[in-house]
Amino acid sequence: MFSKPGSGPAVLRKVTQEASKVDPAKRRDFLKKGLMVAGGAIAGTQFASTLHASQNNLPPNLPEWSKSLGAGVITNPYGKPSPFEGDIVRRTVPWLTADRIAAISFTPLAELDGIITPSGLVFERYHAGVPTINPDEYRLMIHGLVERPLVFTIDDLRRFPSTSAINFLECPANGGMEWRGAQMDALQFTHGMISCCEWTGVLLSTLLEEVGIKPEAKWILAEGSDGAHMSRSIPIEKALDDTLIVYAQNGEPLRPEQGYPVRIFNPGWEGNTSVKWLRRLEVGDKPWYHREETSKYTDLLADGRARKFSYIQEGNSVVTFPCPERPLKEKGRYELEGLAWSGNGKIKRVDVSFDGGVNWQQARLKGLVLPKALTRFSLDFTWDGSPALIQSRSTDETGYVQPTYTQLREARGSSSIYHKNAIHTWRLHADGTVTNVQIS
Amino acid sequence: MTPALAETGAYGIGSPATAEEIAGWNIDIRPDGKGLPPGSGSVEDGEMMYEQQCASCHGSFGEGVGRYPVLSGGEGTLTEERPEKTVGSFWPYASTLWDYIHRAMPFTQPQSLTDEEVYAITAYVLYLNDLVEDDFVLTADNLASIEMPNQDGFFLDDRPDTNNTGCMENCKDPASVKITSEPTMTTLQVEETVAAVEAAPEGGEKVYQQACLMCHGAGVAGSPMTGDAAAWKDRIAQGRDKMLSNAINGIGVMPAKGGQGQLSDDEVASAVDYMIRQVTQD
Repeated sequence: MFSKPGSGPAVLRKVTQEASKVDPAKRRDFLKKGLMVAGGAIAGTQFASTLHASQNNLPPNLPEWSKSLGAGVITNPYGKPSPFEGDIVRRTVPWLTADRIAAISFTPLAELDGIITPSGLVFERYHAGVPTINPDEYRLMIHGLVERPLVFTIDDLRRFPSTSAINFLECPANGGMEWRGAQMDALQFTHGMISCCEWTGVLLSTLLEEVGIKPEAKWILAEGSDGAHMSRSIPIEKALDDTLIVYAQNGEPLRPEQGYPVRIFNPGWEGNTSVKWLRRLEVGDKPWYHREETSKYTDLLADGRARKFSYIQEGNSVVTFPCPERPLKEKGRYELEGLAWSGNGKIKRVDVSFDGGVNWQQARLKGLVLPKALTRFSLDFTWDGSPALIQSRSTDETGYVQPTYTQLREARGSSSIYHKNAIHTWRLHADGTVTNVQIS
Repeated sequence: MTPALAETGAYGIGSPATAEEIAGWNIDIRPDGKGLPPGSGSVEDGEMMYEQQCASCHGSFGEGVGRYPVLSGGEGTLTEERPEKTVGSFWPYASTLWDYIHRAMPFTQPQSLTDEEVYAITAYVLYLNDLVEDDFVLTADNLASIEMPNQDGFFLDDRPDTNNTGCMENCKDPASVKITSEPTMTTLQVEETVAAVEAAPEGGEKVYQQACLMCHGAGVAGSPMTGDAAAWKDRIAQGRDKMLSNAINGIGVMPAKGGQGQLSDDEVASAVDYMIRQVTQD
């Protein structure tokens, strides 16, 4: 199927062109089969010689690339992935929003390894597009219930002692379109509003000490400088805890898409509270109840009441292999993999089921297990060709066990939009393909 | 330049924020009215301003155009299958409305409204939601006293609210496991995804996406929809110079340069050429 990176877009174009001629009722099946035969469909084309293993380049022959020199140093002063990996990109779902300016894109989770999301693949969420900010003209203002209101340049911020932390960044609407039923047929879209980077900056508590907060200070308003000037109220307890004023992402200056040159970052919390393109922090004694914490980012329950200030992103997990983008080609041994995370601390364990939650096996936690960060889990299994309903279920260090859809809907109804962290099911078909389903 | 010692903290980093600097950015409004600038605005004045500045996205009655937010209606729907959350049916405070309109609207030209205009438009939106009468005048003094219907509809986070167990074996009856839902929009999704994965847009397309797509992409407010040859026929007949002039100077409801005044004329031209190509090339 997507057997060779780079062939993806071309394959999809051909298949969907054909699919549009097919009776809508049969389109889904056509698409599935179409993708499978696409390998054959492109065999005779120009792609074939470059993307399908050409006999000429296999042992005992000498491949093309071994017979000559390649590009020299700084041909790409800022390096990019191999063109053969051109399929690994952010994507958007156009029907989710009115335009591409106040919109969202998704991280290609299926194609990533480890727990760090490369900066260029971190999902985007904008309310007024990305502003172009000259770092020399950037200022962070802190005022309100303080002894000394101050304005900082980037150089000023970098002079304070810095801290680094590896934390996930998740939009609370991650998976939100599936509260009522399965809608997306790719891992990128079911769970892609999440990333995990190393964030470097100065602790907000250090800056608050520098301005001297008054005893009656209880809340901070964080405000951005893009056209939307997004604003959120943050309790002083969090502000004095692990909240960071960030200027670097994965070792280099914060990316424009993630808030260059400076953002606030609240580990484990709704991504929307980590205001990008930060311009102002006001210290106050009451919350402001602005639009992004009333109209939006509140969770409507079945009884008509709505939860406000639901800051924490609770424990969650998803299997990343197998998944729709990564089907199984044959029977045999595999290493199932997935990601788990919790805004309440470390992941303690992850369990995996192949029968829709009747029986579970404990998975292995792999690599770094950090608080409020993506955590890899894996499980060896042998596929005998039978259909399966694959699930993962995380437990975090507080003992919180990831809920089922039934439990979530019982507690909240289906209109919350945000904070959907239900156990997710992939349906593995006998032909090795994987689709998104919800089960009872 | 070293600030006076009393003006710095322990590290001595940063410059004192002057009252003038603070005043320029200190735009937040609280439910108790703190932060509201002096001023007032009437529903009557707000109607015309709303029609000019807001209706093209939000609809003349706040009904929402395309996927842009619905502002009015939805009373009593919060417990229904498809709740309609609007200013009147859901928002707890009127201050949020004033604050948001002032800081972020209109969409293409944020913070371009005067305080008086914000008062008037806020009054009108409240009127659209049947929260004030048509002769109402909104002021810095009366805003905080407006009671919103859903004021008491919110409560503090009390999660966790589920208690799943770590059951490992025979956790449910296998016969009860049934598929209850599957996606129905695979093909549409894939086609749209392909569109999004096309090669990085060239200059004209990039400007188009930034400045033009939000209206022309869906034909909002009577604008000719991109790719709709019939809609563009008469415009193209007027010639490129005229189309360019309309785009640069604005025409009808369309603001100059799509509201993106920072674009150069050349950049606008590249976007116009892009849109022309969508209806002339195969």
